[in-house]
Amino acid sequence: MRKLIPKKDNKKDRMNFVEYWAEYVKTHSDDEWSSQQNILIDSQIKNARSLRLSREDYLKLKSNNA
Amino acid sequence: MEYNKEKKEIILNKKLSELDMLVLDFINVLNKHADYVIISGYVSIILGRARATEDIDLFIRKMDKNKFLKLYEDLIKNSYWCLNSDNPEEIYDYLIDNFAVRFAKKDEAIPNFEVKFPKTEIDEETFKDCIAVKMPEGSIKISSLEIQIAFKKYYLKSDKDLEDAKHIEHIFKDKIDMEKVYKYKRILEKR
Repeated sequence: MRKLIPKKDNKKDRMNFVEYWAEYVKTHSDDEWSSQQNILIDSQIKNARSLRLSREDYLKLKSNNA
Repeated sequence: MEYNKEKKEIILNKKLSELDMLVLDFINVLNKHADYVIISGYVSIILGRARATEDIDLFIRKMDKNKFLKLYEDLIKNSYWCLNSDNPEEIYDYLIDNFAVRFAKKDEAIPNFEVKFPKTEIDEETFKDCIAVKMPEGSIKISSLEIQIAFKKYYLKSDKDLEDAKHIEHIFKDKIDMEKVYKYKRILEKR
C-alpha cells in the first residue's frame, strides 16, 4: 500500500485519509479492516450508553442542532 | 467484500460491531411487517467507512395504521421504544405527515433508527434500486451505490457526506454506473 502523504489543509488531509482507508478496505480482508473499524464504533456505543441521555434530552439536542 | 452488480448483492464477511448487531436485530423485527431500505450514513459504514454514527436512517414502505400498530407492538415486545412518543397512533400520524420518527433500545437514545415513509420520486426509487448486503449472520437492504453517491455528493454536501461518497467511489470505482449517478443528480437538483 502507498504511504499516506500529509496535506497542510485539514479538509484535504481528511479526504486524503478517507482515500487511504478506502484503499486499505479494498486490499485487506473484511476481517482485518472490520476489527479496526469496530474499535471506533463499539467505543462510541459504550460512551453513549454510559452517558444515559434521556430521550427528551436527546430530542432537544437534535432540534437545537437542526 | 464482493459486489455483484448484476445480482445487486454484496457479500460481506466482516466482524460485526455492536452497531451491526443492533441493525440486524431491528431489521429482523421490521422485516416481518414492512419493506424497508437503509439509506445515508450507515450505508457507508457497513461498507467499511471508518466512522461511527448516532442514527441509522431508513425508509419503510407506506402502510395502513393497523399494520403499523402491529409493527409497533412487535418492536415494543423486542425491547425497543420510540423517542418521539409512547402513543403508536401519534407516531403513525407523524409518519403520515412526513416526519421521521426514532426508535432505540428501551431506555436508550443512541444509537437510534430514524424511520420515515418515502415522500419523493427518488425516495420511492430507493426501493427499486437497492442492494442486498449478505453477511453470515443475516442480510440487510441498502440503497444503491449510485443513489448514495448522488445524495451525498450533490445534495447533502457536508464534509462528512462528501467523505462518505468518496469512500464508496474509491472502493467500487469500476462498478459504479456514473450515468445513473448523474441521472439522480439531475433529479435532486430540481428539489
